[in-house]
Amino acid sequence: MSLYLRQIGAIVRKDLLLELRSRERMTSMAAFAVLAGVLFSFSIDTATVRPQDVAAGLVWMTLVFGGLLGVGRTFHLEAQDGAFQGVLTSPAPKDAVFLAKTFANFVMLYLVSLLVLAVFALFFGLDVGQNLRWVVFVLGLGSLGFVALGTLFAAVATGTSMGETLLPVLVFPLLVPMVVYGVGSTDRLIAGRPLAEVEGNIRMLGAFALAAVAAGAALFRFVVED
Amino acid sequence: MRAIKILSTLGVVLLALSALSAVGLAQEMENLPQASDLARQSLRPYWHVFAAYTIAIVLIGGWAVSIARRLRAVEERLLD
Amino acid sequence: MLTLLGLAGLIFLFYLSFFWVSTEIRQGIAQRIFYVHVPAAWTAFLAFGISALCSGVYLWLRDDRLDRAAMAAAEGGLVFATIMLTTGPLWGKIAWGTYWTWEPRLTLTLLLWFIYLGYFMVRSSTEDPEKGKRFAAVVAIVGALDIPFIHLSVIWFRSLHPEPVVVKPEGPSLPGDMLTTLFTGLAVFTVLFLGLFLFRYALEGLRAEADLRARRSAA
Repeated sequence: MSLYLRQIGAIVRKDLLLELRSRERMTSMAAFAVLAGVLFSFSIDTATVRPQDVAAGLVWMTLVFGGLLGVGRTFHLEAQDGAFQGVLTSPAPKDAVFLAKTFANFVMLYLVSLLVLAVFALFFGLDVGQNLRWVVFVLGLGSLGFVALGTLFAAVATGTSMGETLLPVLVFPLLVPMVVYGVGSTDRLIAGRPLAEVEGNIRMLGAFALAAVAAGAALFRFVVED
Repeated sequence: MRAIKILSTLGVVLLALSALSAVGLAQEMENLPQASDLARQSLRPYWHVFAAYTIAIVLIGGWAVSIARRLRAVEERLLD
Repeated sequence: MLTLLGLAGLIFLFYLSFFWVSTEIRQGIAQRIFYVHVPAAWTAFLAFGISALCSGVYLWLRDDRLDRAAMAAAEGGLVFATIMLTTGPLWGKIAWGTYWTWEPRLTLTLLLWFIYLGYFMVRSSTEDPEKGKRFAAVVAIVGALDIPFIHLSVIWFRSLHPEPVVVKPEGPSLPGDMLTTLFTGLAVFTVLFLGLFLFRYALEGLRAEADLRARRSAA
């Protein structure tokens, strides 16, 4: 078991180090998040709609689109220079590779999601203070579910001739539960409702994230085998 | 080859059936009260029923025809 | 093969005659859409179920026949889901006063439709057919796993935003003749699907054989 964890750790370290040096994906995701916040602010007519009422939905939409931007390129670099073959031929089992990739992506996306929250809180004048801990927790669960599905299908999309353009078609229908539960709970938490009201949502969101991780770990080896 | 013929007939007959259902609906419409406004309102359901059945029949028929065409192409390849 | 054709033809006659019987029933005209809508929905779910099942077993046993069956069923499911998705709103406009509502079953079918659209896009955009088969199977399985979540969430979503205009006349138990028509519709659609499904399956087998021969003669 400890070997398994060490294998995961090695790949996670490699991926995060790569990102730290190139800053390719983080930069694009972060820039997207801020710019989306700007555009969304202009897309709302404050005379008819209170921005606070729609902010939760926009946070999640930004997370989904921005996440797709970064997660879609999970295997891009490695597929280009053939380094992924090396990862696959290493003694690490395929599900460890998947878990590692997912975890590395999760770290990046989670950071971005916190940035999204901060940006939207600033632009829309949200008062997240009272439930901040839970909002952050919900965003974490959402990121985890998204990243698990995104990583699995990024591997699929990278193997096709359509590449990343295929990713939204594959992932969006599957993300409906995440958006419904995520927005539902974030919305109420930001509005300062008590936690008990959204507990069911958070549980479902957690179940969704766990199922996505488990399904990805089980199916990943069929995607990358040769 | 026989399979192709039967599939295409199935498709064509299904398409013909959609025309037939139009005739049937037209007949039904004659039984309607002819008060102009009322008639137009109550015509709408008929129109929708007709559209629904046509869509169903055309789609299934279209699927049958497309399978038949692809079958023919493959059989030609096999004969070469 | 021929027997199936006969069966399909025979059932087809039934189809014709029974629909003419059903048109005689005079109780809410729009309600007749029901007789294509419900069977189409049932058939679509059956087809997608077969497809997901075959995909799952394919990844396990790696038998090409299973993959062909999964694809043939998925294509049929797409056809019948399209029928369901187009006839549903036509009925809804009259019964509910609006073409589209986020009614749970309608939403689920729409998402399934897109999942299987992805299934075919993945298939057609991979150069290596073996890879395409595996990818498509993964899509089908994840889609099937996601269905319970989607279903629960759209029900939950609806309860949060109840549609104000929608009064859903969930008809009481159907009179006998309507029930007969409905069940005939169900049987006819199922048999039609199975018949066409077998053709589609055979087509894929022939295609594989043609490919094999072409490769052999090239070698």
